[in-house]
Amino acid sequence: MSKRPLYSWPSGRPLRWFALLVLGGFASATQAHHSSAMFDQQKSLTLNGTVRQFQWSNPHCWIQVTVNDASGPAEWSVEMGSPSQLFRAGWRPTILHAGEAVVVVVHPMRDGSKGGLFVSATHGDGTPIERPAK
Amino acid sequence: MRYRALAATILCLVTAAAPGATPADGARAAQFKRLPNWTGLWVTSVWQVGLSGRPSHGDQELLQTLQLIRPPPYNPEWNARYEAGVHDKAMMDARNATLKACTRSFPALMEAAWQFQVATLPEETLVVFENGQVRHVYTDGRPHPSGDDIWPTPLGDSIGHWEGDTLVIDTVARDSSEPLTPRAWVSMLSDSAHFTERVRLVDANTLEDKLRIDDPVAFTHPWDITLRYSRVTEMNRMIPTNCTENDRNPVVDGKIIITP
Repeated sequence: MSKRPLYSWPSGRPLRWFALLVLGGFASATQAHHSSAMFDQQKSLTLNGTVRQFQWSNPHCWIQVTVNDASGPAEWSVEMGSPSQLFRAGWRPTILHAGEAVVVVVHPMRDGSKGGLFVSATHGDGTPIERPAK
Repeated sequence: MRYRALAATILCLVTAAAPGATPADGARAAQFKRLPNWTGLWVTSVWQVGLSGRPSHGDQELLQTLQLIRPPPYNPEWNARYEAGVHDKAMMDARNATLKACTRSFPALMEAAWQFQVATLPEETLVVFENGQVRHVYTDGRPHPSGDDIWPTPLGDSIGHWEGDTLVIDTVARDSSEPLTPRAWVSMLSDSAHFTERVRLVDANTLEDKLRIDDPVAFTHPWDITLRYSRVTEMNRMIPTNCTENDRNPVVDGKIIITP
């Protein structure tokens, strides 16, 4: 049997190395601060609650959301990008206020703790979260 | 071009009119006039980052677009080590579960998601990243330091020269204990790695870095990579990033958690 190189780049079989990288565990991106392996990105969870605090901070911004469920109120920590990334996306430190109703979708923590990676969010009435017009 | 000429003219007038101005000042102003204008904020084109701070289109798309994560052109000896590492899933999973990275070594820094600014001076070009890292590329004609004046560092030692509007950068003395990128832990280079970059403005909103990595100890042939950067249009100032202000992601018992 002739021996072929496992990888070929840039010509040949470009997907072969890609499959190996994924299988080998290269899949978890480290955008700025840490690996995303802690989040189950195959699952999405919707949190209906109120904002306790919006932390505009490095390396991550956080939405602290109080959710009432059958066992009573519980606080969830929703991890977002850095202030630089949020600013570029149009968010500002005053875009969320304590006490306001929000609906936040997250990829939950794999370990079952009350935290997750931000996916999307709206105000409690379903309207988009945007900066007020100047 | 019109703006560059206007800026150089203003600079010449200011220099000539300044009390104590010397002929050397005028010569420096003329050098400024020849430099390209790369002002503004830039960010790598492969990262489309959303509010989550993660790739908007998911990790899989990112893996297909990142350049430095691809297998280097290793010789058989280095390739054997690379393959053994890639297939060590337990090691990969453990590294992945605890990976935190607030800085990058070169050349991974040039493919990181951090925004950067480029300041072109006659004597050096500075590449200033939002996480605080700075590349110094000396263009005053000096050689690399020699003897005990140079030692391996994460960014190596960079000198450069201009070929028209293209900045040619030569980098040596990169710390070989660092993997090529934080996402490719088994991609290593030797102490002999030598980097050549050709950086130029492709159009008003695109900066290009043609990077050649030559490692005669580890590679069968030089590795050519093209990195591209897009102009950031949504903001007009750099907002610094750091990992210490409110780090709520400590590593506990072999995994990253979220503190309340």
